[in-house]
Amino acid sequence: MKFITHNNLLAWLGKLKEERTLIAPQDVGKGHIHYRPVSDMDAITFDYTRPDMSAKEFLFPQTERLMRIEKRGDEVTLHDYFLEEKQVIFGLRPCDAHGFLAFDALFLEQDPPDAYYARRREMTTLVGLSCPEMWENCFCGSVGGGPDDPSHVDVLLTALGDGYAVQVTTPKGEALLASANVQEKPDLALPEIPQNDPIPILPTGEWPALFDNQYWARLGERCLSCKLCTYVCPACRCFDLRDEEVLSGAGLVIHDRMRVWDACTAPNYRTIAGGHNSRAVKGQRIRNRYYCKFYYYPEDFGPLGCVGCGRCIEACPVNIDIAEMLVAVSDMSQGQEVSA
Amino acid sequence: MTEHNHKHHSMRPYLGRLAGIKELGTDIRLFQIELADEAGKEAFADYKPGQFGFVSAFGEGEAPFGITSIPAQSDLLEFAIHRHPHGKTTQGLHNLSVGDPIGVRGPLGNSFPMEDIKGKDIIVLGGGIGGAPLRPVIKTVMENRDDYGTMTILWAARNPGLLIFTDEYDEWRDAPRTELHLTVDNKPPDWDEGDEGLITALLEKVNPGPENAITITCGPPIMIHFVALTLKKLGFTLDQMLVTLEGRMHCGIGKCGRCNLGDIFVCTDGPVFYHSDVAELLESFL
Repeated sequence: MKFITHNNLLAWLGKLKEERTLIAPQDVGKGHIHYRPVSDMDAITFDYTRPDMSAKEFLFPQTERLMRIEKRGDEVTLHDYFLEEKQVIFGLRPCDAHGFLAFDALFLEQDPPDAYYARRREMTTLVGLSCPEMWENCFCGSVGGGPDDPSHVDVLLTALGDGYAVQVTTPKGEALLASANVQEKPDLALPEIPQNDPIPILPTGEWPALFDNQYWARLGERCLSCKLCTYVCPACRCFDLRDEEVLSGAGLVIHDRMRVWDACTAPNYRTIAGGHNSRAVKGQRIRNRYYCKFYYYPEDFGPLGCVGCGRCIEACPVNIDIAEMLVAVSDMSQGQEVSA
Repeated sequence: MTEHNHKHHSMRPYLGRLAGIKELGTDIRLFQIELADEAGKEAFADYKPGQFGFVSAFGEGEAPFGITSIPAQSDLLEFAIHRHPHGKTTQGLHNLSVGDPIGVRGPLGNSFPMEDIKGKDIIVLGGGIGGAPLRPVIKTVMENRDDYGTMTILWAARNPGLLIFTDEYDEWRDAPRTELHLTVDNKPPDWDEGDEGLITALLEKVNPGPENAITITCGPPIMIHFVALTLKKLGFTLDQMLVTLEGRMHCGIGKCGRCNLGDIFVCTDGPVFYHSDVAELLESFL
């Protein structure tokens, strides 16, 4: 097993920062931790639970310039904005890395691939940091992940004594680690991280039978359609496109075509040209979000659309709880009456 | 930020020029597009009836529209576009003039099974701008008239100003074994080309026989629903009914999430479906 001391880790991150964008957890004020590009090495925090937001914005930005549209007279030229600089995300929690599995399945593996995402993915290396424990509302272990799951990062560090055990899982991780001062410690054993009680996950095939259950209508009565759950989610990927004017003058007009996060819980999400909205009721929309995560997404693309990070539970202003929902659908599938 | 890559990819429109504009009705225009480069021409060399494309009014946005031309008849790609009072893209498109640059992505989605329905009587039911993706069906049948049975076109709109392709009606009526029936919700006193009422009333009046027949419907969801109920009453089964559905899509390639109905996407699994398959969907289009 490889091992790196804390000081050698800092030295390595310093080197990485010189050659690419280094993104790491930082305290942005009042105890709020976010993954942010690093300008000051001292700002990196190692003492954090799960950052407020996932790291999806670095592969799927909340507002992403896709292409520049230049109009000169009646001539138009298009220029794609592809990520130019390599980036490394350090301190990525395994659940946030797991979220990229859902993105890869849709944006890389489902034909046709998305050129912008593919470029970002290619230019990004993921260095994870195991969670020392599972916190309140964490249920990664129930959805195929774990607090020390190395599957979706290129390198995983796990805190141990005065440094970190180092697991390298990909050639990309191997290459990145070449500049680190790493020791071989054959006797090193990874710590056991206690798991939270598992949440039952209903198999995909059993979801359709619950589609018309009144539970969804009752859950919808509480929902505010505020969309917070989708914004904090590491796996939600709905998007909208729009053209925004950025500059004009002297016969030249420039617009950027932007891709922005969207949310299927928004009231007019399913409204079509004539005004018809087949998901006009909140219960229909919240049902769509959960069915997407646990039935549509795995059926259509493979992975679940949930990584068990628990952020949506903490973000929801009316305490709608995805873990409670999962328990409820399991109970309902066994014929039990449940309340929402 | 540099401009190092000009390769085509799935979200990048082909460039073209607006070669012609025709007024089709109140706030409805036909946009005739000439694609500029070889890649675009190649992509659209052999598109099928029922497929759609994303049309860009550069600087305003892009939106999906059914293609309303057929490649056998025109080198120009045609879209019939209804200006929506709150639609940034359709407003932007309607502000364009002949010669202006325009973008197109596609062709996208599946198509009407024109081969499978050869030999059958075809009943085409179009509601308002919903007639746009049906015009390629009508044109294909007329181009290959001997391959199909009778064609009965039922064309409906809220008012006569929203009936599209009026200058082609004589040609449709004159085609062998072809009938055209018109209806509008509100009939003005000076209009006598058809009935007053909904398309379902017209359908019951025309009363086409279900034997060896197929129906093809496009219109608002509520129309699709009641047309299917009326067709059932006339003896048609759901697997004799083709429909084309809609979604306010942002990508057309199964990524953006907008057009899902349960676990299917209108853009990649459709937009053309047999009503029997639509009826089996977990989530209703209604």
